[in-house]
Amino acid sequence: MIIELISLILLWFGIYYIVSLSLNMEFGYAGIPNFGKALSVLVGAIAVGGILDRLLMLYFGIGGGLIEGSTYATSMINDVIASNPIVGIGILILAIILASILGFVVGAIFILPSAKLKEDYLGVTLLAISEAVVLVCTYNLNIIGGYYGISTPDVLAFVSGEYRGWVFTGMVLFIAFLVYLFFERLLNTPFGRVLRAMRENEDTVKAFGRDIMKLRIKTMAIGSAIGAIAGALYSLYTVNIVANAFTRVEWTFFPFLMVLLGGKGNNKGVALGVLCYVIVKVLLDVYKYDLKYTLNIPFEPVWLSYMLFGVLMLLILYYKPSGLIPEKPIITAPMKKKIIEISNK
Amino acid sequence: MILEGAIIYSNLLVLLALGLTLTYITTNVPNFAQGSYAIVGSYVALTLLRLFDISPYLSLPVLFIIGAVVGLITYLALKPLIKRGASVEILMIATLAIDLILLGAIGAYSEILSAIVGSTQAKFVFANLDFTVLGFKGILFVSTFVIILLLIGLYLLLYKTKFGIALRASMENPSLAQTMGIDVEKTRLFSWILSGALAGVAGGLLPFMQEIVPATGGLIIISIFAASIVGGLRHISGALIGGYVIGISESLITYYLASVFGTGFLVYGKVISLIIMIVTLLIAPYGITGTDWKKVKKLLSGA
Repeated sequence: MIIELISLILLWFGIYYIVSLSLNMEFGYAGIPNFGKALSVLVGAIAVGGILDRLLMLYFGIGGGLIEGSTYATSMINDVIASNPIVGIGILILAIILASILGFVVGAIFILPSAKLKEDYLGVTLLAISEAVVLVCTYNLNIIGGYYGISTPDVLAFVSGEYRGWVFTGMVLFIAFLVYLFFERLLNTPFGRVLRAMRENEDTVKAFGRDIMKLRIKTMAIGSAIGAIAGALYSLYTVNIVANAFTRVEWTFFPFLMVLLGGKGNNKGVALGVLCYVIVKVLLDVYKYDLKYTLNIPFEPVWLSYMLFGVLMLLILYYKPSGLIPEKPIITAPMKKKIIEISNK
Repeated sequence: MILEGAIIYSNLLVLLALGLTLTYITTNVPNFAQGSYAIVGSYVALTLLRLFDISPYLSLPVLFIIGAVVGLITYLALKPLIKRGASVEILMIATLAIDLILLGAIGAYSEILSAIVGSTQAKFVFANLDFTVLGFKGILFVSTFVIILLLIGLYLLLYKTKFGIALRASMENPSLAQTMGIDVEKTRLFSWILSGALAGVAGGLLPFMQEIVPATGGLIIISIFAASIVGGLRHISGALIGGYVIGISESLITYYLASVFGTGFLVYGKVISLIIMIVTLLIAPYGITGTDWKKVKKLLSGA
């Protein structure tokens, strides 16, 4: 039981860490209040359910509707994967590539209507676009099966059931680590420093001849591409996509909670924030019915968890606005040299 | 018939957008919890109906007070952050947090109520309780009456009382108003209380229009923001204009598209208001009331 719990915690840690890292770049570094983070995760699901499934249907020559068609197609590809692991890995890589390309494009378009606006208008617009897209995907059964949902290929069909969770978790953690390295490198370049400068004072950045709009578009494109990878991994893990799983609470609000809890502008801090949140989330998820009956709560514990996390968010804003591990100043190579020189004197 | 629905919907949107605009002008907080305020009102109305058999129309004064309390609590929760000079983003996140708390509370409460009443109360409508006059739904008259009452009240308050003058002054220029000895704190408090109260009333009327579930608040917030932004977030009259523009166009355009492409289109109403909002932001970032129309006229005639 404990072992399974750890696997589940690590899996969610991996997925949420990827989402939070991308949000941290957008919000923590660049100061873009992306209240539409859920959209980028949904885009990952669209890449898997809407594109990859259709490609598989085309490959196997299955006609008809997406919902039934993808069930046939995924069970056929699962049989192939079961005997040939390389196909599974190939499909995983294909899904990630598709998700990041689609995420990149959608992210760049997503911010266009609001790229020139002030923070408050910007946040409202991003939230509204994201909500509207989730709504369309929920009611339109032709995109990713809407509220009926569709199945996705099991890229680990060759692994026996009892180990699947562990192998998938390992895979997700590995990808999360790669994403972490990517962001650490990216944000330590002049690009990362311009983002921080933009967060602190847009006008100064503008005065130095940088185009704020271009910077925002770039940031959101990269952020959405990474967020979409998390969405694709989540869809491949659950082997099924239901559009209304991509709610504002689950994929926008909670990532904000994690980033602020860990410390915005600090990728290591965010890891701590994600871990704290995920442990509470998984324990609440697993023990919710025990909790319900022992405490005799007359309603579903999920509502209680909403209230709890909402209060927690307010408490963070009141007492720990810079998070558990505050942002550290950037130290570039020449600065390091200077510091060593000074300390040697 | 469809126009009737459009007007009712617009009336309710005006109530909600007015609250949003009021708190935005006075405290600079775009309140994401505004939609959930209304749903609190809806569930209180449902409770009064189920437990005490009070018609939702008669419970409106109670909803007004309860909404006011919710607005007051929100302001008290935000106050430490405002005092500290927190950025707009942080305040927005705080209202998202409050929205989540309200969502949790509403959801939990709906299940408690279900247990008391003995049947599920998670989804409900009041449409079957409504009366009709000359073939029109009662809600049409009630919501219009509420709006007229509100406008008269606001007019008297803003233009005929000393507090109203102070209120207008602190909306126009808070720092100047403060130096003139106006208690800006009081005007902020007032705007949050009124905002919550209006939303509470809107919440009591909303179930006559559409089905309510605990998450409804999170959905209507798009239309509320669209109405406020299209009208212009900086002026109270903007909420009035924006509410009718969004409400009527959302209903009519959706209805038209549904008649062309089939009824499946009816669920996409929110997308319409979003598109109108984005187009407005691109053409006139400060909304209808924030645009200098004399300049536009000059530009048009010049070109």
